[in-house]
Amino acid sequence: MQNNGLLARIRRSEGASGLAIISPTAFYAILLLAAPLVTVMLFSVLTSENGHIVWDFSLSNYETVFTHPVYRAIMLRSLMVSMLVTLATVLLAYPLAYYISFNVPAHRKSMWLFLVTLPFWTSYIIRVSLWRVILGYNGVIDSALMDLGLVGEPLNILSNGVMSIVITLAHAYAPFAILPIFVSLEKVDRALLEAGQDLGETRLRTFWRVTLPLSMPGVIAAVLIVFIPTVGDYVTPELIGGGKVPMIANMIESQLLKQRDQALGSALSVTVMAIVAVVSIIFLTLNRRFLGGQK
Amino acid sequence: MTFSDDKPTMIEFKDVHKYYGDYHALRGINGTIKAGEFFSLLGPSGCGKTTLLRTIAGFEGISSGAVLIDSKSMEGVPANERPTNMVFQSYAIFPHMSVAENVGFGLRKDPRSKAEKARAVEEALEMVGLKGYGGRAAHALSGGQRQRVALARALILKPKVLLLDEPLSALDKKMREHMQVELIKLQRQVGITFILVTHDQEEALVMSDRIAVMFDGEIAQLADPETLYRRPMSKKVADFIGTMNFVPATVLSEAGGQVEVEAKGLGRVMLDATIQPPIKGESPVVGLRPETLTLLYDDQKATERETEGVVDEVIYFGDMTYYDVYLGGTDVEVRLSMRNVPGRPILDVGSKVRVAWSPSALVLFR
Repeated sequence: MQNNGLLARIRRSEGASGLAIISPTAFYAILLLAAPLVTVMLFSVLTSENGHIVWDFSLSNYETVFTHPVYRAIMLRSLMVSMLVTLATVLLAYPLAYYISFNVPAHRKSMWLFLVTLPFWTSYIIRVSLWRVILGYNGVIDSALMDLGLVGEPLNILSNGVMSIVITLAHAYAPFAILPIFVSLEKVDRALLEAGQDLGETRLRTFWRVTLPLSMPGVIAAVLIVFIPTVGDYVTPELIGGGKVPMIANMIESQLLKQRDQALGSALSVTVMAIVAVVSIIFLTLNRRFLGGQK
Repeated sequence: MTFSDDKPTMIEFKDVHKYYGDYHALRGINGTIKAGEFFSLLGPSGCGKTTLLRTIAGFEGISSGAVLIDSKSMEGVPANERPTNMVFQSYAIFPHMSVAENVGFGLRKDPRSKAEKARAVEEALEMVGLKGYGGRAAHALSGGQRQRVALARALILKPKVLLLDEPLSALDKKMREHMQVELIKLQRQVGITFILVTHDQEEALVMSDRIAVMFDGEIAQLADPETLYRRPMSKKVADFIGTMNFVPATVLSEAGGQVEVEAKGLGRVMLDATIQPPIKGESPVVGLRPETLTLLYDDQKATERETEGVVDEVIYFGDMTYYDVYLGGTDVEVRLSMRNVPGRPILDVGSKVRVAWSPSALVLFR
């Protein structure tokens, strides 16, 4: 009797039903996200011997990560590539988002947004391969420029590993940047722009003083959405750069799977995670500053 | 109440037309607004009053005609270079700035020092009753406070003309009445020309030196509040401003500036056409305001005319009671308003009453 009452109470309680609803997802998240994360963190402070982890606590892996010139160079290159990709993506996405929000008539906006997401419908691997065709020696760009007589010999942009990676990733992440910026621009009350002009500012100045600050939450969201995954991008350097300009993810893969040094690979992973986390926290703090005044 | 005509002209409309595609939003607006005047554009929604205001501010171009501010044509002058500032309907307070930053927004190019500008901002805030609010976040303000910030932000730039686009419509009744009085005081204090857009006839009557009543993109009448109320130039204006009873009438004779009219339920009336020229309407009617009709109690006698009637409806307002009365055994119903004084009972529906009225209060539409 009492048992029944308790069961009924549990069944009725909102907390219990909430837990029941999220439990499959929670189970999935714990098993596939939290558990591997903890494992990697643990491995990073242990030692590898002949491809096996031994319970020998040491911080020497981190010492190697921070002092070895190769790791440092690749780490910095990864961050630089990510920052370039983020910069290029956000700078190119903003005008497009602005155009869709301010210049496209309301009934066409959804069509424009649909078109923006269209490249998604093709597999990323295929898009990367197409960029190879476009950027490569005697590729689409080269032959077009040469046929037009603008350049004498092939530019072979593909041979510039960093630049090709940036172009490919910027293209791939453009929709992720356009959408949050678009949303934040849509929320800007148009009367504020009239108020800016009414108070004596030109349209450009009004943009600078009103529209841009009010759209910063979208810009910051775009920065995070692009920056975080591109730091750890693995496919693009492999396919575009032909592995000649490895980024940190390629280095981690090599340590974990080829060198069988799980401890060092784990330390590299944790270091990248920490750097990304710090950058994200900086941007989120900025975001709170911009959001601070708003509802 | 009438505004002196010797004041210089601040704004002049010369045959202003505005088309949105096929839609003719402004159909030949003419008129002048004097310097230092509290002027209202009054009309129902869609009459073009906001469009007209926006042509002054420079947010809306005009299709033909001219808008002059201080004798200068505003053609090709962008909003940021016009000597006008606006209080927006939504107030348009910048949400990412403090109150002081909002108020000081337009001072960027001001050559004064930072400290002087800060003092100007503080003075502007004090003028609108927000002393010490400068450091607050704009989003934390109430509706009435936002409006004050919007006012301070516009007035700090000392514009020649302040434009107010339905600034009180978002406030509750008490706050609105309070702000009406404050705006009048503020306007007297700063002496700037105020142009108010409103759909609330009462608000326009309370606040304005002169009012332009607009219907369908045209100014139907431009006059001071009392003239508008007493001598509306059309039935439409009469109907829009306050309450007016319309009583069917027939014109019997016309001679020597005198019009003899037979008004249903009121009887024969002689109207002096030189004082009260008849107004064009479809079929002849006479109009009377509710407060020009008075109920007679006990042995009270009418000073001029009186008519018998039957009370059909009683609407109690506290200080006033409105009575709907059938006049003289007809189906003509008029509304009249009586001040409630102690010792005078509120009448019941069905009571037989005597109604006193004066021919001089009649307006003839024909």
